[in-house]
Amino acid sequence: MPIEIADAAQPRLAKGVRLQTDSATGKSVLLFPEGIVELNETAHEILSRCNGRTLKEIVRALAEEYDSDVAALAADVRETLTDLHQRKLIELI
Amino acid sequence: MPATTSAMNAPRPYALLAEITYRCPLHCPYCSNPVAASLREAARRPQGGGYSDMQALNGELTTDEWKRVIRDAATLGVLQIGFSGGEPLVRRDLAELVHAAREANLYTNLITSGIGFDDDRIGALRDAGLDSVQLSFQSDDADLADEIAGTRAHRRKLDVAAKIRAAGIPLSLNFVIHRRNIDRLPEMIELSEILGAERVELANVQFYGWAFLNRAALLPTQEQVTRAREIAMEAKGRLAGKIDIFYVLPDYYETRPKPCLNGWGQRYLTVNPLGDVLPCPTASSAIPDLRFENVRTRALDWIWRESESFNRFRGTEWMPEPCRSCPQNEIDFGGCRCQAALLTGNAANTDPVCTLAPNRARVDAVLRDINSSTPKAFGADWTYRVNPKTLKS
Repeated sequence: MPIEIADAAQPRLAKGVRLQTDSATGKSVLLFPEGIVELNETAHEILSRCNGRTLKEIVRALAEEYDSDVAALAADVRETLTDLHQRKLIELI
Repeated sequence: MPATTSAMNAPRPYALLAEITYRCPLHCPYCSNPVAASLREAARRPQGGGYSDMQALNGELTTDEWKRVIRDAATLGVLQIGFSGGEPLVRRDLAELVHAAREANLYTNLITSGIGFDDDRIGALRDAGLDSVQLSFQSDDADLADEIAGTRAHRRKLDVAAKIRAAGIPLSLNFVIHRRNIDRLPEMIELSEILGAERVELANVQFYGWAFLNRAALLPTQEQVTRAREIAMEAKGRLAGKIDIFYVLPDYYETRPKPCLNGWGQRYLTVNPLGDVLPCPTASSAIPDLRFENVRTRALDWIWRESESFNRFRGTEWMPEPCRSCPQNEIDFGGCRCQAALLTGNAANTDPVCTLAPNRARVDAVLRDINSSTPKAFGADWTYRVNPKTLKS
């Protein structure tokens, strides 16, 4: 069962996972043992802000930048991070 | 935005398997290396200077040649490199090659038996930027593991696993499963927990190379396979969030073929120790009528895009029926070309694992043999892998 990610949780890339730009497409990818995931824009925007920020702070930063509704954004961010967490691509501290 | 750019016409590779040597201290009877590797190497020994004695003896690409392959692969779009073999640690230039791969922005994976992984080399590889290690195990039990490997290796592997963890390098364990060890799956999973792996593959042997030769001794029974799957699924659930567990069935027991390589010449390429560029690591031995190109004589980019070997089974045009009109043909790509060649004598046939394949009876006949023999009659009735000669005085 997916766990509920707390507002105070600090998501970061899991050990062995690298975020980089795919020079062939210009898109962001996650690289890990035996796997590559191409990120959509939302996931890229979220992950590039996973640098010690809490979930709440990530949502706030995105809401300010894109001038969008905090509640809707929070749901999107939580969904994306939950998916990445289940695939062990991020960890929570 | 539509994904229709000109680059879509020629697929772009994502991962390079760099088989940097066929040499190995282990003798596993399921090795996927070509059975005739040592003979081919002897015949193709390079002439003239530029090679160290060891490399000349084995016909292997030099350090500089590998560095060029790595750069060319990155230019072609490759994002990941797996250093494999044989045992890649046999090559003293491994850390230099890992460093070159990191400079080319590749994700670097080392696929190893662990033998030869002393403290100095773990440090050197970590400093070179190695991203992850996949360490193979033959069993959880030292005696059985050493019997399978044909050498005493198990205890050293345990030690190496601890050192890799201590160095902070992400660790995956690969347990290679077959009839002799499949009943020990619970103990293998327990060992994975003790060793603190992030990821565990419980992968049944697939039948290529030495494993094809030793199939009668390695293929598990239906009963074993069913039980193993239950155990693996239970552990996967129980350890979710802690260890990622992957269980791979021997595909003879499947009803649809595996989507081999995600399609021939679509995402993967392999360069073998001699510099031959292969769509699949087992293709050179399984498909004798296909001519492979070599990085010493051709540019990697040309080989990937233009060569006959990479184009022969690309897409769906080459497919016979029932694949050609099958709705699954872009899901499983007709299965594995090497398996079709090994079991039917023609690489262009439908993978006979598919129950729709005209040659499925060949797989069924093998399964009937295995499942009718007395399951306790397991002897060490396999042939150990004979390794390429190493330089000895």
